[in-house]
Amino acid sequence: MSLLELDGVETYYGESHILEGVDLEVEEGEVVALMGRNGVGKTTTLRSILQLTSPREGSIRYRGKELVGMETHEVADAGVGWIPEDRRMFSQLTVEENVRIAVPKDADVQEGLDLAWDAFPDLEEIRDRDAGDLSGGQQQMLAIARGLVGKNDLLLVDEPSEGLAPLIVENVHDALEKAAGETTILLVEQNLPMALDLADRFYVLDHGVVVDSGDADEVSTDSERLRRHLSA
Amino acid sequence: MTGAVLAPLLVDALGEFLRPGTLADVFVDGLSKAALYAMIASGLTLVFGLLGVLNFAHGSFTMLGAYLGGLVMVLAVGSATGDLARMLTFLVGVLIVFAAIGALGGVIEVGLIRQLYDRPPIYQILLTFGLTLVLDELARIIVSFYGLQPITDWRDALGTKPAFMVENLNVGGLAVAPLDLFQIAFGTVTIGAIWLFLTRTRYGMVVRAGSEDDEMTAALGIDVNRVFTTVFALGSAVAGVAGMLLMWDPVWGASLPLAHETLLPAFVVVIVGGLGTFRGTVVAAGLVGMVDATMTWWFQNAITFTGLPEMMIFLVLVITLIVRPQGLFGVEEVGGH
Repeated sequence: MSLLELDGVETYYGESHILEGVDLEVEEGEVVALMGRNGVGKTTTLRSILQLTSPREGSIRYRGKELVGMETHEVADAGVGWIPEDRRMFSQLTVEENVRIAVPKDADVQEGLDLAWDAFPDLEEIRDRDAGDLSGGQQQMLAIARGLVGKNDLLLVDEPSEGLAPLIVENVHDALEKAAGETTILLVEQNLPMALDLADRFYVLDHGVVVDSGDADEVSTDSERLRRHLSA
Repeated sequence: MTGAVLAPLLVDALGEFLRPGTLADVFVDGLSKAALYAMIASGLTLVFGLLGVLNFAHGSFTMLGAYLGGLVMVLAVGSATGDLARMLTFLVGVLIVFAAIGALGGVIEVGLIRQLYDRPPIYQILLTFGLTLVLDELARIIVSFYGLQPITDWRDALGTKPAFMVENLNVGGLAVAPLDLFQIAFGTVTIGAIWLFLTRTRYGMVVRAGSEDDEMTAALGIDVNRVFTTVFALGSAVAGVAGMLLMWDPVWGASLPLAHETLLPAFVVVIVGGLGTFRGTVVAAGLVGMVDATMTWWFQNAITFTGLPEMMIFLVLVITLIVRPQGLFGVEEVGGH
């Protein structure tokens, strides 16, 4: 049994049909990259898993348990974490509060804080600053730290390198590589080298369906195969 | 009245107003109004900040709290009841009002308002406006059934105050109404408690997070719907407790008009402070309370014109909307849901 299985998932925004039958699987311990051009449904796939936008058709099973119809907080409680595309910091909460709120309520808060500060020592120095005052790179670090302290078995990571300077992208890469040793990751990423370096397998979405998939190693040397799907 | 006649009158009034005794009187009155407005408006702003719902029924919770609190006092207090027993009864009444109005608020959020979160805001406005009509009419029927006059304040409830709250105190040569001091102290403790709840507890942190981004909060494993219900119940409960304070106040008293008489200043406070910001609400309550008290003095002592003091706080609203539309502490886009 796969950790996560999507079977014929169809999701709409109003009358707009975004996912037209997505099938994919993620095994425990894997990093799976979900790639595709803008607007093909990558973020919607993650939102569908989290039940932020519930599918009208299809099945999403996590450890064999059906997620469709559950509340978002129940999906999160089941062990699915989210590092969203635009970071979505709580800007009026401090850095520390942003980490604290991500620690599960029955877990040790200090342990969660230590985990975050160990992963990103720079964040500890600005723990009392409002998250809204952070730079883009600092916010991304905080978003990843928030995902890490949630002690999730599956992390849904959406465009972590978007809009960041190359040096910061390296930090993000390293942080995700470290996280990958401890959890399963479904990664949406437009930065092809980074995605393929981190991923074990990949899926390519186009117009709301999976059009290609395989091992990351296969395409590392055959980048033309991916560029066919990813170029505009 | 010509300007030549009016000018000396205004100069005399200004001289009277600037006397230390008058200023202190107005200041204490302003603080007591600020405390009450802050209590009522804090629930309104928390509900708007988290749920994105502008609750027109909020004033009805204050009115119901005044009647329920009055009922507790009238039933429990007799002419032989001492001051200490009256105060203890009041505190028990506060707990009863807090629980009952909070429960009513919770039921309304779950049963009615939750059904409309996915609809445009006009649906929620119409629902809560309709709700205030229903609650007010229900209160009118019950109050009239028991032979009370619904429009004027409830004299029996006013009479349950301890004796030490009836006569003015002499503080350094100044006459101060003890009820005003009680309202200031009670309001300060209540607002302080809400502040501590929001800033020092995990649940308060969740409320602040949910006010900014309810999706992200839910994705962290937090049952946002339960938080919505809790905050709506808490806001309703505090509005009800403010009503219990007003039940003892001869200027207000337990009466049906209390619903809209408190709702309108509370809306002004919430908008002037910045929709959805607790800090802004507290500061704006101070500002509006002081303007209200100052104008009340002027229009009672210099220019007799009933109704103008209330109008002046709307002038504060108009000026704020022109100069800083998002309010003193507001951001340009708010609304949590």
